[in-house]
Amino acid sequence: MKFDNIIIGGGLSGLVAGIESQRAGKATAIISAGQSALHFWSGSFEFLGEADGETVVENPLAMAERLPESHPYHKIGIPKVRSLLSRVAPLLNEAGIKVNGSLERNHYRLTPLGFLKPAWLTLDDYLTAEHPDDFRGKRLAVVNILGYIDFYPRFLSHGLSKLGAECFTAEVDIPQLDTLRKSTTEMRATNISRFLDGDAVELLAKKINEVSAGADAVIMPAVVGIFSDDPVMRLRKGVDRPVYFIATTPASVPGVRCQLSLRDYFIRLGGTFMPGDTVVKGDISSSHRLERVFTVNFGDMPLEAGNFVISTGSFFGHGLIANIDRVYEPVLGLDLNVTGGRTGWYDENFYAPQPYMQYGVVTDSLFRPALKGETIDNLYATGALLAGFNALKEGSGAGITLATALHAASCITN
Amino acid sequence: MMNLQQQNISDNNFESCIKCTICTVYCPVTAVNPDYPGPKQAGPDGERYRLKRPFFYDEALKYCLNCKRCEVACPNDVKIGDIIQAARIKYAHGKPSLRDTLLANTDFMGNMATAMAPVVNFSLGLKPVKLIMDKVLKIDDHRTFPKYASQKFETWYRHEAAAEQEAFPRHVSFFHGCYVNYNYPQLGKDLLKVMNALGYGVRLLDREKCCGVAKIANRCIDEATRDGENNLRAIREAVDRGDEVLATSSTCCFTLRDEYPHLLHLENKDVRDHIQLATRFIFNLLDTGKAKIAFREDYHKKIAYHVPCHMEKLGWTIYSTSLLKMIPGVEFINLPSHCCGIAGTYGFKKEYYSYSQAIGQPLFDSILKSGCDFVACDCETCKWQIEMSTQVPVFNPISVLAEAIDEEATKKLNRVE
Amino acid sequence: MENATHKEYDVIVIGGGATGAGTARDCAMRGLKTILIERLDFTAGATGRNHGLLHSGARYAHTDPESAAECIKENMILRRIARHCVEETGGLFITLPEDSLDYQDAFVKDCFASGIQADVLDPREAIEMEPSVNPDLIGAVKVPDGSIDPFRLTTANVLAARLNGADIVTYHEIVGFIKEADRILGVKIKSIHTGEISEIYGKVTINAAGIWGHHVAQLAGVTVNMYPAKGALLIFGHRVNNMVINRCRKPADADILVPGDTICVVGTTSTRIPFEDIDKMDVTPDEVDLLLREGIKLSPALAYTRVLRAYAGVRPLVAADNDPTGRSISRGIVCLDHATRDGLEGFITITGGKLITYRLMAEDATDLACKKLGIDRPCTTAEVPLPGSEPDAKDEERRAHIIELSTEQKAAEGRHGSWSGKIESKSDADDALVCECEQVSVAEVNYAMDELNVHNLVNLRRRTRLGMGTCQGELCACRGAGLLERHDKCTQRSLDDLSYFMNERWHGMYPVCWGETLCEVQFTSWLYQGVMGLSECPGKEQTS
Repeated sequence: MKFDNIIIGGGLSGLVAGIESQRAGKATAIISAGQSALHFWSGSFEFLGEADGETVVENPLAMAERLPESHPYHKIGIPKVRSLLSRVAPLLNEAGIKVNGSLERNHYRLTPLGFLKPAWLTLDDYLTAEHPDDFRGKRLAVVNILGYIDFYPRFLSHGLSKLGAECFTAEVDIPQLDTLRKSTTEMRATNISRFLDGDAVELLAKKINEVSAGADAVIMPAVVGIFSDDPVMRLRKGVDRPVYFIATTPASVPGVRCQLSLRDYFIRLGGTFMPGDTVVKGDISSSHRLERVFTVNFGDMPLEAGNFVISTGSFFGHGLIANIDRVYEPVLGLDLNVTGGRTGWYDENFYAPQPYMQYGVVTDSLFRPALKGETIDNLYATGALLAGFNALKEGSGAGITLATALHAASCITN
Repeated sequence: MMNLQQQNISDNNFESCIKCTICTVYCPVTAVNPDYPGPKQAGPDGERYRLKRPFFYDEALKYCLNCKRCEVACPNDVKIGDIIQAARIKYAHGKPSLRDTLLANTDFMGNMATAMAPVVNFSLGLKPVKLIMDKVLKIDDHRTFPKYASQKFETWYRHEAAAEQEAFPRHVSFFHGCYVNYNYPQLGKDLLKVMNALGYGVRLLDREKCCGVAKIANRCIDEATRDGENNLRAIREAVDRGDEVLATSSTCCFTLRDEYPHLLHLENKDVRDHIQLATRFIFNLLDTGKAKIAFREDYHKKIAYHVPCHMEKLGWTIYSTSLLKMIPGVEFINLPSHCCGIAGTYGFKKEYYSYSQAIGQPLFDSILKSGCDFVACDCETCKWQIEMSTQVPVFNPISVLAEAIDEEATKKLNRVE
Repeated sequence: MENATHKEYDVIVIGGGATGAGTARDCAMRGLKTILIERLDFTAGATGRNHGLLHSGARYAHTDPESAAECIKENMILRRIARHCVEETGGLFITLPEDSLDYQDAFVKDCFASGIQADVLDPREAIEMEPSVNPDLIGAVKVPDGSIDPFRLTTANVLAARLNGADIVTYHEIVGFIKEADRILGVKIKSIHTGEISEIYGKVTINAAGIWGHHVAQLAGVTVNMYPAKGALLIFGHRVNNMVINRCRKPADADILVPGDTICVVGTTSTRIPFEDIDKMDVTPDEVDLLLREGIKLSPALAYTRVLRAYAGVRPLVAADNDPTGRSISRGIVCLDHATRDGLEGFITITGGKLITYRLMAEDATDLACKKLGIDRPCTTAEVPLPGSEPDAKDEERRAHIIELSTEQKAAEGRHGSWSGKIESKSDADDALVCECEQVSVAEVNYAMDELNVHNLVNLRRRTRLGMGTCQGELCACRGAGLLERHDKCTQRSLDDLSYFMNERWHGMYPVCWGETLCEVQFTSWLYQGVMGLSECPGKEQTS
């Protein structure tokens, strides 16, 4: 089976690369081994949240200049990063996901534990602030759903109070959730959102109004609108004051919606999405080109393409595998930046920068990985699979993922 | 230490679960039935407790549809569905009921029913009969039974087709399954029509038995294993004579390939790659230029394709959809991948009927909204469910090909005499 | 605390491990006014850091028949009085091709001499009994080993002490003694949380602080020569074996695999360490490699089973000779009357021994305390069941219908025995699982917070197994923190506690950080540090 481009990996990076490739008229397939880390999305994308040990707010692009030379942003070039990333908000919008924010200045998002973190783009209906002071003097109602234990109103109100807001907490309940609550494990954000449709939304809005009288705004867990934002709109219409959501963990409602929206957009564009399949090996020609890949499901029928993108992620996505004595890239055995045994992989402090977080494939300036020192001519690596940065500490995961995906897309469509 | 800790496999990879909960998002049952603990709890979480003491087995695992959507969603390759089904087989209390045994024994029921097809079809449609089945056997009276054919496919083949099939220079063997044999021989005839036009004769397996999916689901494991051993014997014979073994049902195909080793512990490594869906085989013939196909110019249909759960698990949707898209007069609609809710015999059972319908509702809605002429789908039980719930007809892609193919032109292209 | 300082106690027990808790129980049951003082949390020392073996004594039958006889006697007692803490799994001593069958012959004889049932099995029988055992074995002996949950056991002893009127104080450290001439009159204690110092008076003080007892004795002005011997162990993700598997050879590193609750544990190593290290036990890569290498000889499945954690405890060995490995030191019980030994009245040290003999140690210490107090009351701790293990009609009923219980009720029943009936579920919301790996419900967390001295997530983990399962807190830690906050209303403390707890979990994970354990921790880091924005709590080093 032949395609113009094949993307290995169906997370944020793979989907965006696939969408751009398909939009450029290339027959594109995405091979996805299970669902992606996008399922734990906070509702915000970060470009750069911390540099030189300091929180980045003003002019994150300029701050990005201070990152080490080997950093993906530098490899692309900061001006080009800016132009590539300017495509993200429109692309998400085309897929049905509305985000706000700018690369010129970070805004803040409120985390589920009540902390502020800098962000680049945030979903339309999620709680953000331009300045920490924005909450000062505000009267906020933090409203939870009865029996939902993945949301912590008092941690939030504690955090907001520190920022000068006046908070009160409340719980609401609607009979539509009685059935779900009978399950000891399934009262989760994603399941609640399946029940918050139809009449349940209006009733929920009514209940929220009853407990939030006097508040300037309502803050609630992101448990609405897993498959579309229609229930969100209706809820916001029904509540007398602005409603803002906080993403919860795990399997976040905005994360699932973002994943499915991007996937559906890719399919609408005519792309081929192959869920639940794993690429196990590839044939590399003597001219250092990846000719074809073999997957578990396709068996002896290989998939061929002119270009390949590998967006398999880090350890969580199994883009990298750690054994007791080594780290390796399982699809092609690509060259990595890992040296030494496992004692060098970690720091004993959970909160310290962990060396393993920086592990990934080493590439040339076009993000083409190498095998035993030889660059593969038509393969581009993106996102968390890449070496040389700690996205968690930098607050740069989505920015790198999206910039490298768009960069790869521009390479495979020209 | 090189041979140590190279993989954390354990049985069905259950130790690979990192508790990300993604499986629960995609479970069709969790959303409608609070008594079902969900795939994560029923699967890897529960397994740790069952290994501690079997009494931790939870009878609510019976609500699992075995659709395997959890496995498709799992980023860590945990065989969640297999863990659950294996636990049911190992720990469930009591023997399968008379109803479950009857539903599971598709061959027995099929043989009896085809012999008396008009009577059976008539009576299965009768209110009093359905009421008795509902009350006595707990088979839901809302359920429309698939009609039985008056002549088995095998019988037709022996009398009408066998001889001429041998005349072809190349052959495939056909695992027809119970549905083709007892309910809808036309699908088998359609496969013969297409394969013959492409230059292949179609043989049957020697004494094929039910693939066993219904017996596994109803915990009739000894019988399923016996049937499975027999089928593997027949498949090996076919493969030995150089035939690929084709199925038209995604579930039969999936069961032969994956459930045999995972749940029945029947080793099939030697022949697994030779068992495939007919659409995969045909696509590959066309894709590699080993055969050509011509379609009728007057065939114009708006077809909505539904991905059966086991097709999603097989990962072979693209073969069927690519073939359908090749037909010039087809307006193709991709339905959102969603379980139809019937899961073989599951939806026939009174206690599951309402869940079954609730699970399928989003699919029914999108079919009705699509304005299609019919639905194409590689699974017969999805067909019953969709036809009963939407009144929209459902055809196997092979039947669609048989209808759309320009038989004479195709034969010419493939130099078939 | 304020109450405690105005009372005069008959007995002050120092140490909240099994021995201290057992001693407090015994004293209280004999009618003594008792207070138990623990520096951190119950089971924070060696009690919570061993393999949880219900010893048959067979391991010592050859080297130390006296200990062996004590073990089997206590083994049988614990099966009666602590049935909810005990699992009667049985144990195997296997001989591998590289070992000698001669040892097995001697072993069986020694077992019988010490009164330990030891049945020689055909290797095939052994495999049938325990399918995970190394199939290359050439000999096997079945002994009455089992597993015992040290957390539950200690909690039950604390509950029993409390039921009999004892006061229980945790998170208070002994900083000095109140002395008059050659007599101890009481102790000075300091709150770990506030630093506040208070005094408690007692006629007899019993030092049951394990290896920390060395320091406690020093504070009292006497010397007890103890040697800390570190023992490292690995926890695997699930139960590979359902019987204890031992190597039938001279005691050596990593010669035992014990099933315990939902996991199994391979251990142990033995290394002398300096006293400075006893509060910070790290498992080294060499120890991990050794445990794995030897562990797969017991059960080859360990080669591909996920390792959840590594941990290490400190055996308090009382000097007997100069063996640097500490192995040939008798595990015998050491009960010191410092009046006769050192001329210091009102002070007793109970040490040596092992988890399995904790009750006997408590009995010895309490006998001595009673003698000093001039009280003559018999010990009843071997007959009276522990809280949770009472034969209760309602409990029997529950057990008969146990099949109808939900999974988390079954799990809670396993953890709290007959006291699981006190776990009150007021609504569906209370049935929700906080810890999904270990089946801990909101109601069980509430029960633990109300009844079992829970102040932080580590306490909660020890009382309920929350956070001990496959995901090591990824799903449950924040839920647990939310519930603790709701209970205590100390928001900042709960956040700090959560931050500390994630680090505490990581501490046991990094030595085995490969494969799925690494995936898990990367995922956990993204969630807690990324999505939730949790960071290291500044300033104070929290202790658990």
